[in-house]
Amino acid sequence: MIRLRNVTKKFEGKRQVVALDGVDLDIERGEMVSIVGPSGSGKSTLLNLIGGLDRPTSGEISLDGDELSRLSDDALTLARRDKIGFIFQSFHLLPTLTSLENVSLPLHLRGWAAARVAERASELLTLVGLGERLDHLPEELSGGERQRVAIARALSVYPPVLLADEPTGNLDMASGREILRLIRDLHARFGATVLIVTHDSAVAESCPRTVGFRDGRAVSDVRREVAVP
Amino acid sequence: MNRLALALVSFAPLLAQPAPTGAREIMEEVQRRQKAASLHYEGTLEVSGGGGRVATKSWVFDRIGSFGESRSVLRFTVPAEVKGVALLIVNHPDRASDQWIWRPAIGREQRVAIQDRSTRFFGTDFSFEDLEERDLNQFEFRLASSEGANWVLDAKPKKASQYETTKVTVSKDRYTVTQVECFGKKGLVRTIQYRDFERIKNIWTARTVEVADAQRNSRTTLRYDRVDYNLAMRESDFTVDALRRR
Amino acid sequence: MILLRLISWPYAKKHLQRWLLTISGIALGVGVFAGMHTANLGVLAAFQRTIDRIAGQAQLQVSAGEAGFDEEVLERVRAIPGVRAAAAVIEATVSTPAGNLLILGVDMLGDRSMRSYDLESADDVLEDPLVFLAQPDSILLAKTFAEKNGLALNSRFPMRTMEGDRVFVVRGLMRPGGMAEAFGGSLAVMDLFAAQKFLGRGRKFDRIDVALDEGADPDGAGERLRAALGPGFEVEPPQSRGRHFEETSRMYSVASRITSVFALVIGMFLIYNTLAVAVIQRRTEIGVLRALGATRGQIRTLFLAESAVAGAWGSLAGAALGILLARGASAYIGGMLTTIYGVPLAGESAPDLRLLAVAVGAGVVTSVLAGWLPAHAASSVDPVAALKRGRVQSLGRSESRWRMRIALGMALFSSLALLFEANAYIFYLGFVLSALAAAMLTPLFSKAMAKWLRPLFAKLLPVEGTLAADSILQAPRRAAGTIAALMLSVSLVVALGGLARASHGAIRQWADIALNPDFFVTAAETVTARTFTFPAALADGLRTVEGVEEVQPVRTLRVTVKNGGVLLMAADVAAIERRAKLPAVEGDSATMYPETAAGRGVLASEGFIKLHGARLGETLEIPSPSGIVRLPIVGVVRDFSDQRGSLLISRDLYRKAWNDETVSIFRVYLRKDADHTATRDRILAKFGQTSRLFVLTNRDIRRFIDQVTEQWFGLTYIQIAVALSVAVLGVVNALTVSIAERRRELGMIQAVGGLRSQVRRMVWTEALTVGGIGLALGLALGVVTLFYALAISRRDLIGTDIGFAYPWQTAAILIPVIAAASFAASLGPAESAVRGPVSEALEYE
Repeated sequence: MIRLRNVTKKFEGKRQVVALDGVDLDIERGEMVSIVGPSGSGKSTLLNLIGGLDRPTSGEISLDGDELSRLSDDALTLARRDKIGFIFQSFHLLPTLTSLENVSLPLHLRGWAAARVAERASELLTLVGLGERLDHLPEELSGGERQRVAIARALSVYPPVLLADEPTGNLDMASGREILRLIRDLHARFGATVLIVTHDSAVAESCPRTVGFRDGRAVSDVRREVAVP
Repeated sequence: MNRLALALVSFAPLLAQPAPTGAREIMEEVQRRQKAASLHYEGTLEVSGGGGRVATKSWVFDRIGSFGESRSVLRFTVPAEVKGVALLIVNHPDRASDQWIWRPAIGREQRVAIQDRSTRFFGTDFSFEDLEERDLNQFEFRLASSEGANWVLDAKPKKASQYETTKVTVSKDRYTVTQVECFGKKGLVRTIQYRDFERIKNIWTARTVEVADAQRNSRTTLRYDRVDYNLAMRESDFTVDALRRR
Repeated sequence: MILLRLISWPYAKKHLQRWLLTISGIALGVGVFAGMHTANLGVLAAFQRTIDRIAGQAQLQVSAGEAGFDEEVLERVRAIPGVRAAAAVIEATVSTPAGNLLILGVDMLGDRSMRSYDLESADDVLEDPLVFLAQPDSILLAKTFAEKNGLALNSRFPMRTMEGDRVFVVRGLMRPGGMAEAFGGSLAVMDLFAAQKFLGRGRKFDRIDVALDEGADPDGAGERLRAALGPGFEVEPPQSRGRHFEETSRMYSVASRITSVFALVIGMFLIYNTLAVAVIQRRTEIGVLRALGATRGQIRTLFLAESAVAGAWGSLAGAALGILLARGASAYIGGMLTTIYGVPLAGESAPDLRLLAVAVGAGVVTSVLAGWLPAHAASSVDPVAALKRGRVQSLGRSESRWRMRIALGMALFSSLALLFEANAYIFYLGFVLSALAAAMLTPLFSKAMAKWLRPLFAKLLPVEGTLAADSILQAPRRAAGTIAALMLSVSLVVALGGLARASHGAIRQWADIALNPDFFVTAAETVTARTFTFPAALADGLRTVEGVEEVQPVRTLRVTVKNGGVLLMAADVAAIERRAKLPAVEGDSATMYPETAAGRGVLASEGFIKLHGARLGETLEIPSPSGIVRLPIVGVVRDFSDQRGSLLISRDLYRKAWNDETVSIFRVYLRKDADHTATRDRILAKFGQTSRLFVLTNRDIRRFIDQVTEQWFGLTYIQIAVALSVAVLGVVNALTVSIAERRRELGMIQAVGGLRSQVRRMVWTEALTVGGIGLALGLALGVVTLFYALAISRRDLIGTDIGFAYPWQTAAILIPVIAAASFAASLGPAESAVRGPVSEALEYE
């Protein structure tokens, strides 16, 4: 599903920073993988590259058979639009929109008819347990609830790949656990490929596979049996 | 000659010759009997409009010559504010007359253009054209009826005119015109009636003429006083310069 | 569209004030454009309607320009085949106790075939037409006018005629509608020949109205008339009279066009500014959208749509504003034309839908253009960077390079365009591009100036000054739009001020030489009204007045030469040379006056040469009633007698060719020892009772000229006010943004012990800095704009090169004005900066 070959990413600045240094990685369809590592180890960069938000300095990334580096900017955007769902640490909900509208946004971007959009969005919000809060603004929701909205938004187009960047980083422990359970639950239900960047070991260990990063390289790859909670 | 010309100046001479039968001959006889070297009268005019208002005007009229060869001067005397305004008409046998208005207040004369001849003459039911005396040759006559005491003739002008045709009624006994109906493109324009005939110096003269405007429903009555014929007059009094002098 | 509702509308709602400011910029631009043009068109249309009403059934009008012609021409016209009726007309404007009144002299006998007077009496007959003819003091009035002035049938009504003050009697009232609506009812009908007498026409007519036979071809009849009457006569349909009027109102439309373009450009920068700021503020949002799968195209479209919607609302508001503006402006223009040309004109401003559509279209297009760069910037927002917190994207280097290149290209083009003055499109494009180029380079300039000012500020106000300068340095683009708008406004003011100063100077110079007689004896209150003339004999009368040394009769009239209307002045050229000799701009000043005096040439004004494309030595064909008069231009002088140019010929020649002995103005020189007031009184005592006569002193004339020039610029002052208020809007806008963006910074300053007064001072300083930079750049750009303004006036307005003079005085006035304006603009934002608890500001994102 996701294949990285010798991927390097450098940032030019006052001094050059090598964020990723010749990374090779294969992730199969339906896997749920956590990426761990200290700050600056390159894990977020990896996520941005896979999500098509950024391009590698060298190396190849293929997503569901598409070689991303060969795609034009717009084609890349289209690939992202159809295949990737993003979940951010700070949610990035638009503060002026209700839950329902926030979830609807990606569907509108795809040009769906308004009725179908509303139907899908409320269905997803119900799925993440917010069926009663469709018309609430983000500021009227708790942190955990906001992240649920963000997850519903990421799932809105049923993407084959879900990328989560520290999804529990801004949440208290209880909410974090709940969000994690939700992600796993959804993973089981939709069979999407899930990548979670985290430095919370509890989060990492709840995934069947954990890839460790340090200084831009993948330094460990652990698989484990995980009990379905 | 013309319908209204008759109106202002119509006189019926005595019958002498055998009765003529053709339309033109009838008119020639009418003119022959009206003929005089000069004419003088004082006219009083009453205009009664649709609203019942009555305006009165008076003038003194002098004419030298007859019909197509004549010149006339008409001078207003009443009301006071129009006193002195005069109209000079120089008739021509072969074409429309020349007309000038003398305006004492601004001390100048003003030509009345041909295009303006259908305009009503100072708010009366006459038009300027009606003041002309045209020669018989400017019309084509046709006898329309000769029943009873009158002949009825159709007169069609050969030259430019506001009228298409006029219907002239001539009494058989005196050879006087008693009624003229004028028709324009849209039908009857005005009707002129001659009444109160009196014989003056052997000329049958109507002392009252009434003009009725068919379209505006108003009437003008003209009364002739102090009518006299063949007084001594000078040609030189019938010019634009003469107007100025008076 | 759904994106607009979901993304843009909430943002706009949140920053409603700023968007309203932005929209009002566009609204002002569109409003000025629509308003001035509607007013122009409205006055023109009113004039046209009046012409139509007065023309009645006339299909053609015969005139000999303003010269008048002999009565016999009427018979010649009537004799031409196809002419059904021809009626002579005399037209003049007189001042009465009830305001200016247009006198229409018609032949009461025949005019009914031309015009319907629709009189009040029951059967549409004049109460007594014979009285009307017999009593020349009779007039017809519009019923509305009569009622307004308490007049009824047989009321007495005084008027000042060429035979002195006369009392007229109202002998008929015209019902509203038709004729009576012409000139808003300020119309009196008089007998033609009475009009000749009272209006000093002698035995001449002004015009002949011609109605044609049914089915006759007006063009063919016109040709026949022209052929029969000769070149001195103009035969035109009544509608074409509007053309002359259009010429006179032309300078106002050019001026208003320039201002509205300026206002639009300024509005464009406000939109640019607001959107550029919005892009920066909404970077995170854009990043999220991009991460969610929005394409670059979608983002660009979104921002373009925002500017289009803002532009549309602004333009619609502007159209409404324009209609309001047009009301005031048309009254103003109408009033101005009334004073200058003596035509009573009620400007009705019926909004022209097509014009409004054009204005709205221009507003929207301008807005979309203004949105282009910000939209492009938005579409190239890097989602990864945008989603990180805290970092602010500064002006992209590539964009600023591009901007530089485009701006330099524009500047180059506009400097080249000055060489192509002949081509209107290139020339005006160059003008617009010079302003655009300056505006695009503003961020660069303002950054440089802020850098330069920073140490100075640091010394004066250590905290507030430094922070204010830094605020501009950190986000040059934020302030740049405002500075650009200010700069453009200031440069416009400088240009107009310079133009005013230069024209005042040039006109004064001319007036010192040309208008040196002690008195001007005229038949109207002003020297420019040409409806009345004096008999030539009055010259001898004036000469006998004690104290008078010399009397120079001058006849002025408008003629058509080289397809344009110019003022023809016929005078004793030798006397003029002796008393008021203008230096030659071209030609030999020693021989040109004698040649002209001898009737062998004509002296042309510089304006005539430039505006009509003539040159020295060229033989002009001047139409006169007796045929074409051919005269070579023997000299060119700088003469401002008429904005469309003037020609001076010998009076002897004029008398012969025009068969006209009348005089428009007597130039009267007094003996050195003469008492001016006493002499004036003597003239009035001798002729005032029997003639319509005004004695204007030299000072009166100077005042009149100043007044006309002022009136011209009065219009531009309105425009300056508009430009400045748009700029002030910009300052408020920029400060609001600046404060919103730096809420946290401002909160921090307060948290670490900054006093509210210090924060306030900082905002004030920032405003003054922005104002100061805009002012400085504007004063500099003013040089370029003034250069263009002079070129415009040379090529399109007065045709005279009036010389470059920087208006230091205007510049000096602008300094406190801009300072006060920017300070006033900063008051609101400064208060909002210190409002609310500090903790809230610290949390602000």
